[in-house]
Amino acid sequence: MDLGQETAAVVEASTSDGLTVEGIIANNWIIYDENESDWKSHAAAIAQSIHLIKKRLRWKKLIPRLEILSEQLNKPDLWDDPTHAGKISREHGSIMSKMKEVNGFEQELFEHIDMIKLAREENDSELELVGPHFSLSRHESLKALHTLRSNIKEKELEALLAGEQDSCSCFIEVQAGAGGTESMDWASMVMQMYKSWAERRGFGITVVDEMPGELAGIKRATIKVDGEYAFGYAKAEVGAHRLVRISPFDSNKRRHTSFASVAVIPILGDGSTRVQINESDLRIERYRSGGAGGQSVNTTDSAVRITHIPTGVTASCQNERSQHQNKASAMAVLQSRLDQLEMERQAKINAEHTVSLTDINFGSQIRSYVLHPYRMVKDHRTEYEVSDPDSVLEGDLDGFILSFLSASLDKNKDDYL
Amino acid sequence: MKSSCFTRASLSSILQPVFPPRSNPGRPVFCSTAVRPKPRTPLYLRPPAFRATFSELQKWHIWAKNKATSVGPTFSDLDNGPDSALLHRELNWLVEDAVENPNLIRACLDDTAPVWLRACLEELYEVWRQRIEERRPFQYVVGCEHWRDLIVSVEEGVLIPRPETEVIVDLVDDALKRNEELRNGGVWADLGTGSGALAIGIARVLGGRVIATDLSPVAVAVASYNVQRYDLQDKIAVREGSWFDPLKDVEGELSGLVSNPPYIPSKDIDGLQAEVCKHEPRLALDGGANGMNDLLRLCNGAASMLRPGGFFAFETNGETQSKILVDYMDAKMKGSFCNTMIMSDFAGIQRFVTGYRT
Ligand SMILES: C[S@@+](CC[C@H](N)C(=O)[O-])C[C@H]1O[C@@H](n2cnc3c(N)ncnc32)[C@H](O)[C@@H]1O
Repeated sequence: MDLGQETAAVVEASTSDGLTVEGIIANNWIIYDENESDWKSHAAAIAQSIHLIKKRLRWKKLIPRLEILSEQLNKPDLWDDPTHAGKISREHGSIMSKMKEVNGFEQELFEHIDMIKLAREENDSELELVGPHFSLSRHESLKALHTLRSNIKEKELEALLAGEQDSCSCFIEVQAGAGGTESMDWASMVMQMYKSWAERRGFGITVVDEMPGELAGIKRATIKVDGEYAFGYAKAEVGAHRLVRISPFDSNKRRHTSFASVAVIPILGDGSTRVQINESDLRIERYRSGGAGGQSVNTTDSAVRITHIPTGVTASCQNERSQHQNKASAMAVLQSRLDQLEMERQAKINAEHTVSLTDINFGSQIRSYVLHPYRMVKDHRTEYEVSDPDSVLEGDLDGFILSFLSASLDKNKDDYL
Repeated sequence: MKSSCFTRASLSSILQPVFPPRSNPGRPVFCSTAVRPKPRTPLYLRPPAFRATFSELQKWHIWAKNKATSVGPTFSDLDNGPDSALLHRELNWLVEDAVENPNLIRACLDDTAPVWLRACLEELYEVWRQRIEERRPFQYVVGCEHWRDLIVSVEEGVLIPRPETEVIVDLVDDALKRNEELRNGGVWADLGTGSGALAIGIARVLGGRVIATDLSPVAVAVASYNVQRYDLQDKIAVREGSWFDPLKDVEGELSGLVSNPPYIPSKDIDGLQAEVCKHEPRLALDGGANGMNDLLRLCNGAASMLRPGGFFAFETNGETQSKILVDYMDAKMKGSFCNTMIMSDFAGIQRFVTGYRT
């Protein structure tokens, strides 16, 4: 293990005359547009980004976490439990690389500032004679700061999705609230919104389970969303979504309020520790089967529901063409649900290391979609709002998702250091 | 509407059933010498050789959806047949199988944009009409059934494998896991193989070989075709003949035996849903007066065909038959079998009888 790198992460970096990221921010240098060639403006923008990224990564918690992990990695019996060891070393590696990256940005920033200051004091032409180390001209340093500034802007976004499961694929589940056909119709609109959103993002979509309403819409449905960071984004949607409109199902044209609740379940990668499911703890049922079954019945409906008896958690699937595949899909949902429960339990145990957002209350109302008497979609957590509900319902959700993710990670008043 | 596209001879991709090398040692002992019926290629495997415009396809789709909707609960009230919701799902699957790029149907294309189909539009109109008006089983319409992780080719004359029967493969798999002796290979048999689904399912969990038999020449042809599609000719031999007749060469040597024989009491058949009683072969369903003729026969045969320690699994009509069968084995055939057990299907119906030859 390279301890040198780890201590480097703890020691606060600065320019040769002692200017730190904090110091730069405290200077309140004016930040101009990116295209202005003003080094102070670039430096201030970069310092702010570094500050934000550290905050999003929960920098202050990363360092002790890294220490704990290093300690565990040094235990001689670590690899007796290869799954655990794998998990530890993966987390360690991922934290190390994040810290290294941010430290790299910091170092680069300070080097360029030093260069520019130096170049101001001395003569550019003289400087070039000093040797390869100092061969960058002031102009080039300025250009480098400009590049760094736009690169680091992208990293800000990436840092929003730095949670342990953020890169996973996921299941999205929509359930109609009370209120019959009107809310079942709303639930199917919400599901459609996520399908379109996932499509736009280039994620793969599979319908796992769908329970249609009697007249219209759905009672509940589950889709699988495949792709990098599907969970990281979609987790921002967990909660109750409220619709206000004149119901097309009400002959008296009255205004109705309906709810649909959304749950998002990460699908852990193979490397993660997953809950062991005992076959004997499962009750597997084929539902809506036609009476006698067997040779007497030919139905293409081979829906399967699995109940995990100890926890009461259930999962069902009816969209595959064979019972076997319905069972396999339902098992995958069940596994992910149980994994999520377990993660929540673990998260409660070491509460100080909750990088994920598992503490969200599934019932709490997160967003309103008003179609009447005015038109607007408003997120109650961030106050982010949009006046065109149609575009949102067509899957234009990124504004809501990113504003929520940044709000929930950036609001932390306590500083990162 | 009757157009040339129904002359199936034009479908060049139809495959001739090929006899597995091992079951055809030059002189076909148990195989009838009559010309084998040619199995039909499932729709999803046919080439997308038919062109239609997007608007023509849309028009068909809307027509087909309306037809599905018009059924409402009629069939399910009448004889437990499919309701509209189920028919809509089947229609999605038909699109999945028939259209080269099924996602197109939800896209907004130009009316005149071309779409490629695996059957001509006239045929799609005709088969969906048959599905609704004649209650022709969906699986015959598309020529296949998804069964476990397999897609089994089926056609008129062959029973469509049922989801319940999928469990027999798990029962065999469990038996293999528990019993080391069974894992050492040996020959297994699937009697009354129909489409060959069960034989293929168990061949894939077994180390050894499987002999699949059926009395019906259509079943033998379709089973052979499926075996070939899954490239299992070296493991599965399909033989034509009644129950154990084609198995004389392995008497007393079978390591395992599975069967889903006809078990419906004769008098019940006409009351079944139209898809079953009007379209599936009676030979595959009719188990005699109380439905147990073939089960009892298989039971007797199993005693002489299985080697000591050999495993068997039979599917039955449910609790009553399972109990009769177990009683018969434990009392009338005392000493022949051990560890006889009744296992339930996913709907909780006592569906299977398993055990070992002593
Ligand atoms: C209920 S089907 C089962 C088909 C297939 N094993 C399955 O599970 O899908 C019964 C099969 O037994 C065959 N059968 C009926 N009488 C038979 C006999 N005497 N000898 C061999 N097979 C017979 C039928 O042709 C039919 O394929």
